[in-house]
Order: sequence, then C-alpha cells, then structure tokens
Amino acid sequence: MPHVDLTIEICGMSGDGTIAAGALLNGALSRAGFSLMAFDSYPAEIRGFGRCVTRTRVGVEEMVALTSETHVLISLDDEQSLSRIPFLARSATVFFDNRPPSYVPEGQSIAAHVEPHITLLGIPFGNLAAEATGTTRGRNLTALGAFAGAFDLPSEPFHEVIRKKFDPKGEKVAQANIKSFDAGVQYAREKLDPSIRGILSLPQKTMEKDDRELLSGNMAIARGALDAGLKLYFGYPITPATPIMEYLAKVLPERGGRLLQMEDEISSIGAVLGSFYAGSRAMTATSGPGLSLMTELITHGVMAEIPAVIIDAQRGGPATGLPTKSEQSDLHAAVFGGPGDSARIVIAPTNVSECYEYTVKSFQLAEKYQTPVIVLTDFFLDNRVENVSMPHAAPEEISDGNVYPDPALKGHYRRFERTESGISPRSIPGMEGFIFTTTGLEHTEKGIPDYAPQNHMQMSEKRHRKITGALAELPVPKEFSQKESLDVGVIAWGSTFGSALEAVRKAEKKGIRAGALKITSIFPYHADSIRGFMERCGEILIPELNYEGQLANLIGHLFGKEVTRLNRVTGEPFPASIILKKIESLVT
Amino acid sequence: MKTSGRILAEKVSKIKNSDVFSIRSHNLPTWCPGCGYFGIHQGLNNAIQRLELPHHKTVTVSGIGCAGRYPFFANTYGLHTVHGRALPVATGVKLANPDLTVFAVGGDGDGLGIGGGHIPHIARRDIDVTYLLFDNSIYGLTKGQPSPSSPTGFKTKASPYGTTEAPLNATLMALSYGATFVARLFAGDPDAITDAIVEGIQHKGFSFFHIYSTCVTFDKQFKTWDHLHEWVHPLSDEHDPTNLKQAMNEALEDHFSLGILYRRQKE
Repeated sequence: MPHVDLTIEICGMSGDGTIAAGALLNGALSRAGFSLMAFDSYPAEIRGFGRCVTRTRVGVEEMVALTSETHVLISLDDEQSLSRIPFLARSATVFFDNRPPSYVPEGQSIAAHVEPHITLLGIPFGNLAAEATGTTRGRNLTALGAFAGAFDLPSEPFHEVIRKKFDPKGEKVAQANIKSFDAGVQYAREKLDPSIRGILSLPQKTMEKDDRELLSGNMAIARGALDAGLKLYFGYPITPATPIMEYLAKVLPERGGRLLQMEDEISSIGAVLGSFYAGSRAMTATSGPGLSLMTELITHGVMAEIPAVIIDAQRGGPATGLPTKSEQSDLHAAVFGGPGDSARIVIAPTNVSECYEYTVKSFQLAEKYQTPVIVLTDFFLDNRVENVSMPHAAPEEISDGNVYPDPALKGHYRRFERTESGISPRSIPGMEGFIFTTTGLEHTEKGIPDYAPQNHMQMSEKRHRKITGALAELPVPKEFSQKESLDVGVIAWGSTFGSALEAVRKAEKKGIRAGALKITSIFPYHADSIRGFMERCGEILIPELNYEGQLANLIGHLFGKEVTRLNRVTGEPFPASIILKKIESLVT
Repeated sequence: MKTSGRILAEKVSKIKNSDVFSIRSHNLPTWCPGCGYFGIHQGLNNAIQRLELPHHKTVTVSGIGCAGRYPFFANTYGLHTVHGRALPVATGVKLANPDLTVFAVGGDGDGLGIGGGHIPHIARRDIDVTYLLFDNSIYGLTKGQPSPSSPTGFKTKASPYGTTEAPLNATLMALSYGATFVARLFAGDPDAITDAIVEGIQHKGFSFFHIYSTCVTFDKQFKTWDHLHEWVHPLSDEHDPTNLKQAMNEALEDHFSLGILYRRQKE
C-alpha cells in the first residue's frame, strides 16, 4: 500500500449541508478501510449563520494529529471558502460549484483567487443535483460524488453510509441522495481530464470488512462508562460535554440505568457522591465553569472518602471563556482546585481509544481508592472523530472495585481505619453491623468529628498515602523515541500529545534526535519515570494549549534546568508544525 | 447497701443494654440544653421505631449547621455533607438503592439560604426522600446571624439595625414547588412529629416537613419557646389535605397552623 496522507476539507455556509457531507465522507472512507481523524468547526450560536468547515485527515497508518495543510478543498460556498485558501498545500485540488445556486458577487468565485499551481475543478454541483432529482438540495452529495469519482474511490461505501443516514427518512429520500451522489461521480468520470484523475487517485483498498468504528472522544467516554457498569448519570448541559449526556439519556434507560438532568453542577456531583455512597456507579460530565462549581463537593469526596467519576471536557477559559474552542487550562483546577489539601486522581486521555479505556479505569480507581477521579479531555478530543478498533473492557476492569470490611469486625467497625495502604474497608448502606456516618469535617477512624492536632496530621497523611499508592495502578508515561540520548524531549498531555508525536516523527526524519513522552496520569504523576526521560534529554519542551504552562508548572521542577514552554491559546488544536519549528530552534 | 456510684453504673449499663441505643447513636447530641432540635430528634427516632425500620437500611443525609449535625446522633447510615447540598446527595442515595429509607435534614440557612435552589427540583422530581427542615430563623452554629426566614427588622450582631428583607414562607414555597406531601410541625410536640413523619415515610414520593424550632442561645426575641407555644395551633378539622388551593391559602393566611397541609400520591 503506497503512502497516503491527505487532508480533505469541506467548507460551506450553514444550510449547505457541509457537516452532513463531512460525516458521510468520514463514514465512507472508514468503511473503505482508511485510517482517519476528523474535526468540524461551525458557529457556536444556535441560529448563527456562518462558516462550517469539516477537516478529515485520511491515510493508511494510524492518524495521531491533524495537519494544518489542506490537500483537497470542496467548496460549497466560495465566499466562505476564500478564508481557507491560505491553508491549501502547493499541490492542492479545489472542487467548486461553477454554476452556484445563488448570485456570487463579482470576484467572489474561488477560481479568481487561488494560485495557478492549484488544480481547480469547476463542477456544477447544483445543476447536476437538480437534473438528477429535480432539486438542488442534494448538491452537497453531488460534490462528494465528484470527489469520489475524481479520486477513483469505490461508490459502495458511500452508498452504504448514505443509505444508513437517509433510509430512516424513507426510500424516496435515500434514493434522491444516492442519485445526487452518483451524478457527481458520473460527471467526474466522464468530464474530468483523465490526466488529473491519475494524479489524484487514492489507492484502492480491498473492501474487507473493517472492524473499526468512527467514534468521537465524547462517544468513547459514554461507551466506556456504560461498559464499566454505569447505573446513574447526573449532569447539567454545558459545551463541550453535553453530547455525553445526550447519548446516555437514550442508552442508559435501555440498560436499566437512569439519567437525571440536574439543576446545576453542584447538585450533579452531589448526586454522584450520594449514588456511590449507596453502592451504585455514577458519573457526571462537565466543563471548566461546571468543574469550578463542583470543587467543594469534590473535596468533600476526598475528605469523606466517597468515590466519584467526573469528566471535565475542557474548553477555553477563564469564566465562560470560549465555549466551543479547545484549551487545556483546567489542569490547575482539576489537580489543586478546592479548599484544603485535597489530593485526588486526575487522568487525561490523549486519543479516542484512551477516552474509552480511561473512563473504564476511572470507575475502578474511584471505588478502590475511595476518591473522586477527574478525567480531563478537551474540546478537540471530545469532538474529533477517529476510526478505532473499539476495545472492550475486561471483566476485571469492570468488576466491583470496592474493598469491603471483614464480617468479623461487625460492631467494631472503623470506617476510616488508618491502614498501611491508607485504604479503609468501606461498608455500603444495607450492610448490617457496619453503620457509620461520613463527614466533611476532620474525623476519627470511626468517623466522629475530631479537630485534635495529632488526628488531623494522621488522617491527612492517611488520605495522601492512599492517593500516592494509587500511582501503581495509573498508566505509566509512554516514550516514543528511536535514540537513547535525545537533544529535545517533548512532553505533552491531552490532545496536544498527538501533535507533539507528529512533530517528533518529522524532526526525526530531519535527522534531529528528538523523542516524545506521553503523560496521561496527571495526578499523582510518575515522577521517577518522567525524571528518567528528562535526564536523557538536552532540552525539554512542553507544548500546551494554555497560557500559564500548567503541566510545566506541575512537572517542570523534575528537570535539572528550566523546561522550554510552548503555550498557545488560539482555541485551535495545537499545530504539529509549530512544535516542529520549536524543536528545530532548540537544536540550532 | 449499694454505693451511689454503683447505682449510677448499673443505670448506665441498663440504658446501654436497653434498646435506646438501637434507636439513638452512641454519640450524644452537641446541641445546647433546651434546644428545640431534641424534640425533633425524639420525634424522628420514634417514627423509625414505630415503623420498625431496619437501621442499616436507613440513611440520614444532612448539610451544615446545628441541624446538619443530626446524622451523628442517629443510629443510621449517615452522610454529613457540605453546606446546602443534602437534597441532591439524598437524591443520589435514593436512586442508587430504592430499598433504603432516606431522610434529609437541615436548618433554615442550609435549606432556604445556600441550598434554596434544590428544594424545587427534588419536589418536581418527586424523589422518595423525607426532608425535615428545622426552622429556627437563625444561623446558630455561626453564633447568631439572620436567616432567610428571620422576620423583617430582626436584630443580630450581623444586623444591628434590624434586617430589611422579608422572610421566606417555606411551607408556601414547598406547596408551590409541587411537593406531594407538605406538613408543618413544631419541635415542642414530638408526638405530633412522630405521627406526621410516619405518614411521610409511607408516602411514595417527596415529603416536606417544615418544623418550627427555637434557638435558645442566640434568639431571645422571635422564635422563643414562649412565643412559639403562644403562636402555634392545630389545623382546623375542616382542612382538606387533598386540596392544594386550600393548602396554599392556609400557608398564606396562617403561618402557625400545624399538621399535614397537603398530600397527593402521584400516579
């Protein structure tokens, strides 16, 4: 299989069917056996009238990041697409409607603006759709068909995804959409210069059934929670976490669970704590503003040693911030937020399959260590789509993680016993002879409020010993490097890690001794292995989607000298090209 | 002849071996002598005993405040949570295991001030939780500041010139929120509390108990025992607890009539 690495963009105005066309493209390419990563951007406001762009990076190897260059642009609205021209690669191809349905002001056709080395394919999307179906409504599919025809892609996977989407709306609708698509394919095959087709061809993948699924980070989290035995979900709508709630609202009742949309985030985490206390797995998902409201009860979970699972889908901040933009600026809040010494577990997946895996793990960790666990994601990771082979949680990962009291202790039960591990056996309401009261006040081993100096020292130590001990079960940092000693080591977390890995691979190709370290356990963190990696690096670079360098603040002290910070708050995923540039500047 | 010490020891041992501590916790209440909350404590304990609820299948959830300390003094599973959040936590407990009998307790500051936003939602969801709002119209644990149910002009160290705000009417609020069981009671009448709570526990759905109490330490002007005894009186025999409009009218017109104002079993 020859190397393929293409980024395809569809750009249009709201109402053009841009996002729908992008989703169909992703579905078909996935069915055809390609690897892909896709990410859409569209107006945040409900009635917003604005630019919609879908980006799909497609190839044969696993995709770890998006690229900033576009190889194929499908323009459904030239006026909107003008803004995409600067991102076109030198060899890019642009599909545009040369007979657009509405009046295009003079000079607004994209044809008048692109550089001469760009291949321009003017195709009357609207007219072709109208000829095939009597209406221009399917012109987004005609555009998709023209792309598929020009790239010699088989039509079957497209037909399959079109049917899947439109069959529920009736045979007529499905047929019309297939006809619109086919009109584009036919036009491309008959009318386009065959020499162009040769240049553009994607290699034919065999049509073997691919077990991979197209999944966003948010959907992977929801699926992970269900597989982990989620019984109750409590949440409050907030971008970008809402899709988790919407998915579970449909599926959880089918599995005997229940979902309540609560009055705020405080009550959401409150109900999650109540549920775990009474022995049922529960979860809430939120974003920065909601996390800040939850902090008091999260520290209550720490003090009273009650499990909880909290997904924080980060967005731009502070305050209401940038609801539909990507940022990694809740790390401080997740790790340190709240009153007192309130250590809790914070983990951060870097890709869609880790979103699943770590959500499953968070339930086990929360129960075993009797603590809130925060899973940090970000807007890009939540909303991007990857085709992944869905892992399935092993029985030991989903089994009951609780440590129960010894029945012999009936009547002499100390709920907060200071054990060697710090983990005190936990009884659940309904267990006879093990009644206790849990409190957010400092308390004795029996749970009775007690502010004696020595007691607070000992109980603080116990709670922290427990969290430190959890490190043994937390995912270890993973190194990606070819050399033993490195000129530049890049350490990254969350969705930025993919960009860092992409940059490191490119740097290696340029002969730079660079390596990447993926950190998914944010707190507690594996200081020894991070330090071990750092010691083999001349420079340490920590790129993050935040202004303050929040991971660098947390782990930077492990390096013998200052780490190099690379911070961006543009609201976009971290471009690998910028990390690469920084790596290059560090070695020259 | 037995020494008085031995008599005392025998008495203590007799009490300890009696079923008193199967009802109460071994932790004795930290409330001030004369506090109205003792009456509520007794009323609730007797209700648990009358219904023979297994203690290990009973959970008491509270927020913060003098009333918030309640779970330590009850021989049930207890959740002493943060200020104002007893109701959402109780919601989680009840949904997680519907076999449990769940009480939520808290004061007027906890329930009407910081946690005031949660009552309407547990009411409209009709979660099967028995909520006891101990209303003494003052913040006692922080040593006497005005609460959302303090009367206008209430003087405390935090309101030396008298408050300017109007008080909330918790009973009327619960009725308008759609609570399916609303009772108004008085800490000075534990037996009436027991009778009403027994019905509240048996009610399938949210039951709200607005219980007038007193703070003997920080309130010498408003809800004193003397005043409360003078003000409270039973609901008229003609009161129809299935009639919401009548209940709301009662709550609006008469702040001190006691009994079950409203009950409706949801389908």
